[in-house]
Amino acid sequence: MHRNVDIKVAVLLGLIGASVFSVPLLTADRYMLRVLTFVGVNVIIVAGMALLFGYAGQVSLGHAAFYGIGAYASAHVVTVFGWPWVAGVAIAIVLTAAGGLLLALPSLRLRGHYLAMATLAFGEIMRVAFVEGKGVTGGPDGLSGIPFPSFLGIEVDSAGGNYWLVWSAAAAVLLIASNLVRSRAGRAMLALHGSEAGAMSCGMDLTGLKVRVFVISAAFAGLAGSLYAHVVGFISPSTFSLHVSVLLVAMAVLGGTRSLAGPVLAAVILTMIPFADAVIPGLSRSAVETIQEWQEDVYGLTIIAVMLFVPGGIAGALRRIAAKGSVR
Amino acid sequence: MSSETDTMLAIEGLHAGYGRVEVLRGIDLRVGVGEVVTLIGGNGAGKSTLLKAVIGLIPPSAGRVRFLGEDITGIQPERAVKAGLVMVPEGRMLFGPMTVRENLELGAHSRGKTDLTEDYERVFELFPVLADRQDQSASTLSGGEQQMLAVGRALMARPRLLLLDEPSLGLAPKLIGEIFAALDRLRSEGHTILLVEQDARLALRHSDRGYVMRTGGIALAGSADDLLADDDVRLIYLGTWHGGEETT
Ligand SMILES: Nc1ncnc2c1ncn2[C@@H]1O[C@H](COP(=O)(O)OP(=O)(O)OP(=O)(O)O)[C@@H](O)[C@H]1O
Ligand SMILES: [Mg+2]
Repeated sequence: MHRNVDIKVAVLLGLIGASVFSVPLLTADRYMLRVLTFVGVNVIIVAGMALLFGYAGQVSLGHAAFYGIGAYASAHVVTVFGWPWVAGVAIAIVLTAAGGLLLALPSLRLRGHYLAMATLAFGEIMRVAFVEGKGVTGGPDGLSGIPFPSFLGIEVDSAGGNYWLVWSAAAAVLLIASNLVRSRAGRAMLALHGSEAGAMSCGMDLTGLKVRVFVISAAFAGLAGSLYAHVVGFISPSTFSLHVSVLLVAMAVLGGTRSLAGPVLAAVILTMIPFADAVIPGLSRSAVETIQEWQEDVYGLTIIAVMLFVPGGIAGALRRIAAKGSVR
Repeated sequence: MSSETDTMLAIEGLHAGYGRVEVLRGIDLRVGVGEVVTLIGGNGAGKSTLLKAVIGLIPPSAGRVRFLGEDITGIQPERAVKAGLVMVPEGRMLFGPMTVRENLELGAHSRGKTDLTEDYERVFELFPVLADRQDQSASTLSGGEQQMLAVGRALMARPRLLLLDEPSLGLAPKLIGEIFAALDRLRSEGHTILLVEQDARLALRHSDRGYVMRTGGIALAGSADDLLADDDVRLIYLGTWHGGEETT
């Protein structure tokens, strides 16, 4: 019976993967590809948020800062130092992982919500740094002219190419995350959700576990930042503000706990809301403008509606559908 | 008498508390290898606090804890479990959404990747009802079954010293009987147990020795029989003042 379910899930994932990867073959619509590429970037960050919030039970209000650090660091070393793009990606990952470690170690040693507070402060400090650090970040005007990703001498400059690049990274990140969830550490995280005191009495190193997950999630955000910078070619502080951090938390909450699929779907939906016209043909320009104007309210209402009417978020709904399927 | 046996746990002058509030004020306690020792005392005497300080959930501010001769004062909880000090916490603290079997599996977390077949068998032999409920989520178990699972989960870590915090809490007399029957089994197999209980009479009847705690200190210590016969203990903790000799 378990085997059957596994096969069904594998087939479903294969189908989803195939359709995601075939998009650039089916359309040349640059706007649509760009929007969907941006969705992929957010999926990478939310994979980390899902591990952090949905599995380790921690809230970060500063992940946009890691996103920003990854973007600026990568853009800086590539444009100013002339390093290859791959080195930019590596720097983004290493810096954000190190930053995550420095932030998480002291705040997770203490019990309580110190991590949420520390990340909130960190996000604010970094926002100021992005604005004031003109030498590196270009200040409030941002950095432009960041070169496209290139490796093995090939510059990935087409919309389709960038789409593939970002979604390949997203697939890799999701693979890492799902392996982690199914490992011993993942079982420990599930236990932690059931009862922290119980997990401790089973001899689990909870602080170490939370720190590790935080570092991984920071590195995912760093990777996303680097991809974003080179794909879009322009970055400015507003892309990495507290507002974005909160949106990322909203994706994790909306997605539901103990799930990767739920938060990924939430990331897809929330990222698409302001760009609904990219995938819904015939949606009038003014309708989209209205949505964008009311974006915050639409987010707020969506989240409240899900909390009220869909217990367990999207993950909860998915589980109920799966349970119905297996009863039949 | 007790000094003839090897010492499993030796607590000397232990002080500990929460933040600035000192709860334990110089505790001396000893558990010999293979002994069942009971800790009794009223609500808030500091019994749970003592267990927590021993396994490192709260840091002691003074004093020593020795485990099999080794100084483990202020040990990290995960290391305590690895060393063989395993607590069944007050209120069980099971992983509610997970199945009975998963709860047991997680109990063996500290042992790394090993074959657990034998360990499952042992737990199911001790608590046959758990075998029937293997795939049921822990939150759907009855109170008694949950307590059995909590003990079973602790046994999965292969403890050298089992610390039990009020295993009878909130259970019907029949279930309490079952739990204590299981503890007797463990005792006869040579397990070493430090037991915290509200029901002093019951606990002492299943123990070798006992300590009476009062406001963060040890008020009285002795063999289980001596404590059961002690006038103060009878008066204060055994509830015989009005009831005379009861039937339990
Ligand atoms: N987490 C905590 N923070 C602060 N004080 C605490 C905490 N836990 C317990 N205390 C205090 O420490 C004292 C001892 O509590 P403890 O839980 O050790 O008592 P106990 O003997 O186990 O009682 P009971 O039989 O009710 O379980 C009490 O005064 C209690 O209020
Ligand atoms: Mg207690």
